[in-house]
Amino acid sequence: MNLSRYGEDGIRVLFGDVIDLNVHEKVRRFFYFLKSLQRPDIVDIIPSFRSCLVRFDLRQTTYEQLSSLILEAQQQALSVHALPAPATHEIPVHYGGEYGPDMAFVRSHTGLTDNEIIDIHTGVAYTVYAVGFVPGFPYLGTLDKRLEVPRLETPRVRISGGSVGIAQRQTGVYPFPSPAGWRIIGRTEVRLFNPQEKPHSLLQIGDKVKFINL
Amino acid sequence: MIEIINPGWPSLIVDGGRFGEAAVGVPPSSALDRYACRALQWLIGHAADTPVLEVIGTNFALRFHHAMTCAITGARVKATLDDQPVRPWMSFQADPGSLLRIQEVVEGLRYYIGFSGTMDLERVMNSFTTNLECGFGGYQGRILKAGDRLAFTEICEVERSAVPESAIPPMRPPHRLRVVAGPEISFFTDESRNRFMDRDMSVIYDVSAQTNRTGIRLEGEPLCFREGVERSIISEGILPGTVQIPGDGRPIIMLYERTIGGYARIALVVKSDHDRLAHMKPGDPVLFELIGIKEASQLWEATSRSMDSLDTSIRHIK
Repeated sequence: MNLSRYGEDGIRVLFGDVIDLNVHEKVRRFFYFLKSLQRPDIVDIIPSFRSCLVRFDLRQTTYEQLSSLILEAQQQALSVHALPAPATHEIPVHYGGEYGPDMAFVRSHTGLTDNEIIDIHTGVAYTVYAVGFVPGFPYLGTLDKRLEVPRLETPRVRISGGSVGIAQRQTGVYPFPSPAGWRIIGRTEVRLFNPQEKPHSLLQIGDKVKFINL
Repeated sequence: MIEIINPGWPSLIVDGGRFGEAAVGVPPSSALDRYACRALQWLIGHAADTPVLEVIGTNFALRFHHAMTCAITGARVKATLDDQPVRPWMSFQADPGSLLRIQEVVEGLRYYIGFSGTMDLERVMNSFTTNLECGFGGYQGRILKAGDRLAFTEICEVERSAVPESAIPPMRPPHRLRVVAGPEISFFTDESRNRFMDRDMSVIYDVSAQTNRTGIRLEGEPLCFREGVERSIISEGILPGTVQIPGDGRPIIMLYERTIGGYARIALVVKSDHDRLAHMKPGDPVLFELIGIKEASQLWEATSRSMDSLDTSIRHIK
């Protein structure tokens, strides 16, 4: 665990440098531990692949106070404690055609056919490493090396809600029409986020997701 | 009730922000100029974080259906109430049937309009602010349209008051933004870093037309990545004011609509310069200056103090 400052009111708690289930399990344990403390001086916690970004309230605490508290609690935070059990979700997807505008790029970049791309993408259960960017967007890993493609250098200004994208060793689903820097290969009708009902996000960190070809 | 006659481009309901659900990607969606909002809330008699309108553009117009106190803060505008000029950063009394119209925006970009009543809106995830991208919060989760009617549950009487001229921040370009180092500052060549944000060497960027409530894109000299460095990162949490550098080397200043980013975070705009971001228009020149975290924290302490003392600096008008 490595702490560093992120601006005036952020602490970046880093658990590793790679996309890895063991690193992520530490992120998850730390996130749920910190959340369980219900500290009023913590405004938000953003868990992701290898870190938790903690935003704190400068009126109630300081970087020094909160980071020493985190360091003191690290043994406890990373040991086994009550964690929500990860759920498994199936997400049906229409691949290619009008739903997957970047399928041609992925074909030419990887040398694979549409069917091979779909088979590889639907072939494993992914882990939800982070939820964010926009509400309910799951960052899923790890994508098979054969489907590794770069992000767009200049993100698209707007794509359809439900779009399924890939980038590097990750895949994800855009819950709302939004800007997007990933390569879009398909679309789903599953609703990933509901602002009115709890839990707001269908997917939580640590959950598993399997895509189904429609 | 008030009725939107001309919505400007765009206008929406905002408050201090939506917090507590960032772990599932819910961003703050805050008012972009927090100081202006705070001042506005004092002028209209709300100490708490009440929802207000955030507007861009001229010709915005609304009609009052009740008598109430109203004020405009943020960008300096020329406004009229039934063809009589009203000053921004000073409250005024509106009568039933009165028409408020914004004639001109003189300095800055976004202005805020508040009322001495409680808007009849629903809190979504603990906030009234609008998340435009996802269509929730605010008024039906969207920007305001002509004909929209905002109802009030109660209207209070407040004394007329004004923010003194000395307490109104400058909003005019060039925008000099102080920044602190971001986690990926080492991804960029020394020369490139210096040209981006060294006090004496920094080059001028221009605000791109591709700028919105999510982020401010900049045009100008692209940042150079060091040889052998990845052009993106394993996606990670970001906070408002983060300056991200995508593969094309052109900076994007993230505002209040994102919780995670995948591009190298070269720097963060210091909190005391965040409100300035609300007033950056396409074409405006922008300069960056790297400072230390200690200096940034001291600046923020000073900014917080001036926000807290707004209630004492606001003068009542007899």
